Order: sequence, then structure tokens, then C-alpha cells
Amino acid sequence: MVTLDEVRRKLGPGVEFHCKHFHVQPGAHMALWGPSGCGKSTLLNLISGLLRPDSGSISVDGLDLIKLSEGELDRFRGEHLGFVFQTFNLLAPFTALQNVMLGMRFSDTIPDKEWKDRATHILERVGLAHRIHAKPKTMSVGEQQRVAIARALANKQKLIVADEPTGSLDPKNAAATMDLLLEMCTEEKVTLLMVTHDRPTAERLPEVFDCLGLVSEVER
Amino acid sequence: MSIWHIAWSYLWNRKLTTVLTILSVGLAVGLISAVLTLRAETQKRFEEEGQAFDYVIGANGSRLQLVLSSVYFMDSPVGNIKYSDYLKFKNDTEYVAAAFPISMGDSYQGFRIIGTTRSLMNHTWKHPVTEEEKSPYALSEGQYFEKPMEAVVGYSAAIHGNLKVGQTFVGNHGMIELPDSLKLEDHANMPYTVVGILAPSNSPFDNAIYVTLDSVWNAHADHDDEADTHVEEADTHDHDADHTHDHNHDHGEEESLTDEFHAAPDAEVTAVLIQFHSPAYRLQYREHLDELGSYNGAVPIDEIAIFFEKILKPAKAMMMAVGYLVVVISALSILIGLYLSILQRKRDLAIMRALGASAYEIFGAVLIEAFLVTILGIISGWFIGQTITAMVGIVLARDYGFVITPFGITFEEINAFCTVGLVGLIAGILPAWQAYNTDIADDLADR
Repeated sequence: MVTLDEVRRKLGPGVEFHCKHFHVQPGAHMALWGPSGCGKSTLLNLISGLLRPDSGSISVDGLDLIKLSEGELDRFRGEHLGFVFQTFNLLAPFTALQNVMLGMRFSDTIPDKEWKDRATHILERVGLAHRIHAKPKTMSVGEQQRVAIARALANKQKLIVADEPTGSLDPKNAAATMDLLLEMCTEEKVTLLMVTHDRPTAERLPEVFDCLGLVSEVER
Repeated sequence: MSIWHIAWSYLWNRKLTTVLTILSVGLAVGLISAVLTLRAETQKRFEEEGQAFDYVIGANGSRLQLVLSSVYFMDSPVGNIKYSDYLKFKNDTEYVAAAFPISMGDSYQGFRIIGTTRSLMNHTWKHPVTEEEKSPYALSEGQYFEKPMEAVVGYSAAIHGNLKVGQTFVGNHGMIELPDSLKLEDHANMPYTVVGILAPSNSPFDNAIYVTLDSVWNAHADHDDEADTHVEEADTHDHDADHTHDHNHDHGEEESLTDEFHAAPDAEVTAVLIQFHSPAYRLQYREHLDELGSYNGAVPIDEIAIFFEKILKPAKAMMMAVGYLVVVISALSILIGLYLSILQRKRDLAIMRALGASAYEIFGAVLIEAFLVTILGIISGWFIGQTITAMVGIVLARDYGFVITPFGITFEEINAFCTVGLVGLIAGILPAWQAYNTDIADDLADR
């Protein structure tokens, strides 16, 4: 599903990200674990096409990201990736339903006429049938993260990238969110890459990739 | 969920800022719209009513003043010419189809009392473009004047002066409403009787009271003999120029026909309104008039065209400049508002990019926000402008008989609105460009 080979990216003066090899099987659930600044988020951004490498190759779902133009990368993100962020990143002017529909708006995966049904269905699936018309600021953090998970899965993406998805939640909500994320990804047969600095959280996933050593100082 | 919906949602999410920005654009557009509409409507009305007479002849002085005072009842008359001169023009049948003397000087509650001939009441004219037959002196009730001191009252004058058929009233000397004590000594012993009221013509002709020519002479015979000193103190208008003073008043005691008067050799009228056999004579008559004597002659619509070109055009340009200045300021407020909004929601834009939105879609969404604010500003501005026009129109109709039609749109306004729309879009380009250049990874990491 995801393969990186000899990927390098300069992060600042004398600091470089270097990943010799990284591979994820389709349908795998993998945690990218490491302390702050170890390069786990950079790895996630490179896989998501949010950052371009200085060298090396990145392949996601058969697509060579190095060769994709900016527009093609936009389309790639819309059609292949689902994002779950630490701070949920729901868009304030829109309701839960609209936030989920936005995930479909920017790709051609789901036909327009099905957006609403699909969004409603997936919100019901994450237990928010009664909150579909609520705006983010009226929702609890747990509800917001569930909407974010629904949005990430709405487009029938093949890869979910989650960056510290439980980082802003209390232990109870964190555990519930992890349960939901794993359950949904298993049910939808989606590959999950989850960044976390918390070892117990990382170990809830079948695979853990240790990101220590991805970022190093180099000679100027 | 279209890009338009996304753009609108972001505008709605900051309602107060959006409404204030729309209002600032609206006020600018309202000013422009009101100036353009008022100018277009007044010019249209001036030109239409100016077609009522081909030519106007009066004493030497300002042609514009002659036209404004004699045709539109708006300004003080320039002076008087002899009644015998009027007869000379009337009998100039090679050119002149009809000539109507008018004599001004008195008023009632701000409405001019016009001494004229009965034939003026039958005067009709055809609109040169629409071919519509205009009868500004058609009666709505009563009858036309037959004898001295009988009055036919214009529609607005009747309403605002509260005059009805059968009622009597006393004219004021000049255009200033005098206290009753002065009025009694002035014309009180020469009251007018309302015998007819004109149908509304939505023109300045609604704002006057029409009497026989010798009624005016009679009133001033009385005035000159009895109450001159009081009036001179109270009246601020140009006394000598405003009405007949020097004519022989003996004729006033005689019974006269409404179209022919036994006038003394030095009897005067304020102006003569002329209808030619053909409008083509308008251009030729100036030369002919010089052969007849030393007179001031003017083609009403020509003077009005000059009036709008030389006097109102700079005023309009100044108002438009102010309007466009406010547009530029409003555009800056759109720019600043959107720019700050983009700074505040860089993360939102990055999320949309992460969800698959292209940089072009983000650019378009921000530009649409600028467009929506501008369009709503233009629409609200048009309403504001037309409301101002309607309110000014009430004053114009009451004071000058000009009925203007608000809530229309002119080609000039469409041009102005397009310019404003373009300025609004330009104001949106910088914030849109900023949004276009979103650094997704950086903005998402910026917690």
C-alpha cells in the first residue's frame, strides 16, 4: 500500500529527514511511534503528499507521488487519503453533516446525489445520528473527533492517516475513539497509519514503526 | 455543496463583519445610484417639459433664467417686455403658430400666480419621441377662467394650497408668504376666485395658478396705489424685475376678454411662450428676433441641455468622484476584511486542501466571497440609492412639479455597478492569492 525508499527531505539548517525503507501492506494498521521531533509527522506528511521529498521514491496505492503535479496531488489526497487530526480540524461554519460531505466534495469518488445519504449513514455509524445538524462549537471533543473519523472514511478512502488522533482527548474519550477508529478501519478494510508519541496507544495497533533516527543532523 | 455554498458559509460565519462591509459598499453604490438616477430623471423631466414650447422671449438677461422662470417657474423673471411686443410676436404668423403672454409677480403659498390668456389653457404638445399628446392644462373640475380675478389652479397648487372650486384667496406680492396684516393692505381687496382645477400633469404646470393677464395688472394697480411701502419692506425678491410696475393701470377697471386686453401702450408682460409652425424654426428664430428688436430669446430644451452640461455635469462629476472614492474605501475594507479572514482561517484552507481541494478551488472560493460581498453591496446600494431618489422625488414633485420615477435602472448605472463589481473582485485577488499559496503542511502543523 505504501512504500518509501531512500527518501530524504531537508528540514532546516543541518537537519535532515532520511527514511531508508518503509513499507505498509494493504489493510494493515500501523502506529508510527516516537517522541516529539523524531520525524513521524514528517513521514506522514510525505506519505500524504503534503510535503515533497528532496530525493527518493514514495509510492502510495500504486501511485508514484514524486511524479504527481500539485493538482494531481490534490486529487490523490481527495480520492485515496482520509485525515484524522489531533485537533479534529472540523470547519466551524459547517454542520457535522456538511463537514463529512466536504470530504466527498473535493473528489469524484462518490456521486453528488449520494453525498448526503453516505454522510448520514457514516455519521449514524459513528453514533452521531442525533447530531448531524450540529455545528462543531456545540459538540463535545469526543463528538468532534467522531465526526472527523466519519469524514476521513466518507470517501471510501483506502488509507487513513491519523496524526495523534487521541492527543486532545481525555483517557475515556481517547480509548473510545481508538476503539471506533480501529473498528471502522477494519470494517471498511482501510489501511491505517497512526502517528502517536504514546507507547501504550501505539501498541493497540498490530504493527508499530519506530520513528527514532528518521531525523538527524548532517554536515553543512 | 458547491464552492458558492462554501464561500457563503464563511461569509455567514462572520456576519457582523460581512454586513458592515456590505453596508459600506452599499452606501457608496447608493450615493452613485442616487446621483445617476436623479440626474437622469431630472434631465428627462426637464427635457420633456421643455418641449412644451418651442421658444420663449423675454427681457434681456440670462437666457437660462428666462427659461427656468417662464417654463419651469423656478427662478426669478429677468424683467418685462411690452405687451405690444407680445402682440408683435403673436402676429408674426410666418413663424409663430401660437404665442402666450405670461405675467408673473404674485404668488399664493409659494405657488406662482401666472397672468396669461385663455388660449394657453388649450395648448397641447406632442412628445417628439413617444408622440404622446400632452395636455398640461386639462381640467379635472370646474371651468377655465373667463373674467378678471378668476383663477384656474394647478393640481399640486390646489392640493398643497388647499384650494377648491368656489373658494377665494388673496395673492401675495412676490414669492414670500406675507403676514395677514400686510396681506390685507396688499391685495386683500382683490381676491381671486377659484373657478377650475387642473388635472395632474406631473409637470411644473401643476405648480402654478393661472389667471387672466389683466387680473395681474389689476392686482398691481391696487398694490401700487395703496400698499407699496409695506411690501417693499417685506419682499426680498427682485421687485423691479419680477412683475409689472410701470404699466398704466386704467385698463384694469375695464371688463376684458380673456384673450384680448385693452392694454395701455406701456403695459408689460414677463415673457412670451411661443409655438412655431415647425420645431425647425427654433434654430432660425434667433436671427429673426434680432431684426424685430432687442429681446432675449431662448429655446427651452437648448438652455436645459446647456444647464445640465455646464452646471450640473461638474456637480454630478464631483458627487460621482465622492461615490467612487467611497467605493475604493469599501474595496479596501473588502480587501482588509478578507485578508484578515484568510489569516484567521489558514488552517481551514489547509484542511480543505488536505481533503482534496485544489489551489484553484480555494482561490475561487475566496474570490467568490469578495464577489458576493460586492454584489450584495451593489444590490443594497441600489435600494439605498433609489430610496434616496424617491425621497428627493417627493420634494421635487412638491416644489417643482417634477415627478421622477425611482426604482428603475439606467445604462449608466449598470456601467457604474459593473465598475464597482470589478473593483470588488480586484480587492479579492490579494486575499485569494494568499489563500492559493497555502502551505498545507505548515498550516496544519500550526496548532
